[in-house]
Amino acid sequence: MSLPRYVARRLGQSVFTLLGVVTITFLLVNAAPGDPVRIFIGPSADASAIAAMRAQFGLDQPIHIRYIKYLMNVVQGDLGQSINYRVPVTQKILERLPATLLLVASSFTFAIITAVPIGVLSAQRRNQLSDHVFRIFGLIGVSTPSFWIGLLLIIILTYHLGLLPATGLVMPWAPPSAVDHATTRLDVLYQSGIHLIMPTLTLGTLQMAAIMRIERSSMLEVLNQEYVSLARAFGVSERTILRKHAFRNAQLPVLTVIGLNLTTALGGSVLTETVFSINGIGTLIITGVNARDYPLVLGTTLFYASLFVIGVLITDILYAYLDPRISYGDES
Amino acid sequence: MSDATADESTTHTPRSGWEEVTTQLRRNSTSRWGMYIVLFIIVVAIWAFVDGVVLDYYFAERFWYSPITAPPGSRGLLPPVGITNEYGTGTWAHPLGTDHRGRDILVRLVYGSRIAIQIGIVATGVGATLGTIIGAVSGYYGGWIDDVLQRTVETFYAIPFIVLMIAIMSAFGRGLWIAIVGVSVITTPIFARLIRSEVLSVREEEYIEAAKAAGVRDRNIIRRHVIPNSLAPVLVQATLQIGVNILIVAALSFLGFGAQPPTPSWGAMLAQSRTYMLPDPWFSVWPGLAILVTVVGFNLVGDGLRDAFDPRLND
Repeated sequence: MSLPRYVARRLGQSVFTLLGVVTITFLLVNAAPGDPVRIFIGPSADASAIAAMRAQFGLDQPIHIRYIKYLMNVVQGDLGQSINYRVPVTQKILERLPATLLLVASSFTFAIITAVPIGVLSAQRRNQLSDHVFRIFGLIGVSTPSFWIGLLLIIILTYHLGLLPATGLVMPWAPPSAVDHATTRLDVLYQSGIHLIMPTLTLGTLQMAAIMRIERSSMLEVLNQEYVSLARAFGVSERTILRKHAFRNAQLPVLTVIGLNLTTALGGSVLTETVFSINGIGTLIITGVNARDYPLVLGTTLFYASLFVIGVLITDILYAYLDPRISYGDES
Repeated sequence: MSDATADESTTHTPRSGWEEVTTQLRRNSTSRWGMYIVLFIIVVAIWAFVDGVVLDYYFAERFWYSPITAPPGSRGLLPPVGITNEYGTGTWAHPLGTDHRGRDILVRLVYGSRIAIQIGIVATGVGATLGTIIGAVSGYYGGWIDDVLQRTVETFYAIPFIVLMIAIMSAFGRGLWIAIVGVSVITTPIFARLIRSEVLSVREEEYIEAAKAAGVRDRNIIRRHVIPNSLAPVLVQATLQIGVNILIVAALSFLGFGAQPPTPSWGAMLAQSRTYMLPDPWFSVWPGLAILVTVVGFNLVGDGLRDAFDPRLND
């Protein structure tokens, strides 16, 4: 199968996956007890007002009609009206998207640029002191609840040292007039930076530890291969072996882990946003659940899933591109 | 170390694969520590279960649960041993201090372990079993069954665990048993995918072909040959997954979706501690440490098992 055909096939599978996501979440949300309309207008509302609102949100129709209608709308990019905010769900998501993207992007960047070199170093100095230290750090990193890291950071860096702000995010592109303590673009960037540090560490530590662990074991695996022994036998320097032979070949499993970690990071953003009171998509979904705002819950879940599906699609294509041995997905 | 192993296997009767693995586990000092931690937490959790369910909190109330009378409208937080706040200096009566309602934190940690272990082990067990069956069937038969199952698995994979759990719990209610069902549901695809890839390679082995030629029924081939031969990675993954699931449950409780108060759970304790982070930071420290130590324990055992099954990377 050629690369374009493989991409087309994977795209088709992704559409299928998303259809599944819509179906599962739709069924879940509709299985929920409690009438969203009643919760929204309150128990004292009269019957005609409730009926009017039910009709307005299409809740008076049978479930399969609602499902088909929802699907048709989703295909056209319409995720419905939020019951709670009374605006289109897409508008609400786009409003909250930058904060979440900034958070996820910065924690992923942090995780990758720290974890890859540390993992390589750890493999290179296997069983030396630095390797042990890195491994203990990696173990603790994958075993610590991220939100606890967030709480500890707030206790130490905000309450005790007074260094960093504990709530909210500042977008680096925000106008200076809209940001506290800022008059110039530089101030905005500074504020954005100091607001981003703790959430990044909170969300990024787990990713970093996970990538570090896979990088180390993947490097060790490659360094055990015969062609590396051969290169050593030919007197190729350890440095060159590491750089030219081992490193590149060790990156494929790492890439997979990075791709799969995207979903952990997106899920983790719910927690990080809660801890730092960031108005992102994560806190939006919590609001949606608590308010029984089912179009909002459906929309955000679907949106999260799409981000993940796109992420995995990109890693898969990269993978196929980087590793010529892969016969594109005949045995997926 | 490898020499010693070789000597033993030649001089003694050959050991079975399982004996080999347990010996390896005991030899590896880090995974031994992991086993101690896991055993300790499990004993504590069983103790909490017996006291809570069988003895109706006899010990908890008699010996540990002695709420201090906090002045109305104030925080009830007594500090741990060695720390002083406006209520006084911590005493050994409450070694880790008390929470905002004057409840002993150590007692609540002990009872929280029950929730963590219960969900961690039960949900992982259910998920691993279901996933193994689904994955084995899917991998063995291939074809459209495989396609349907794979797409379903991918669908569950695509939704972040936390988000899926929130959706499940918002639909069916909040509480311990729904959390267990939910975590089982999200754990299943992980094992389905894992065992499927194992089965794909086992399927091609000659002994499977031999079994087929001998007329053994598919169901028996899967049960007797395919699953047992793919089990090692499942065991490793299951141990690691218990840790992950404990983290997920803690996160859900933190967000208010787990076991509901007054049932003590580590995540909910962390959520409650947020209000008191400034004056009484230690309240936020203990539950997090409990989670960390427990998950480290399971991860150490999991890593140890992996090394034992795959000796190539042994240190």
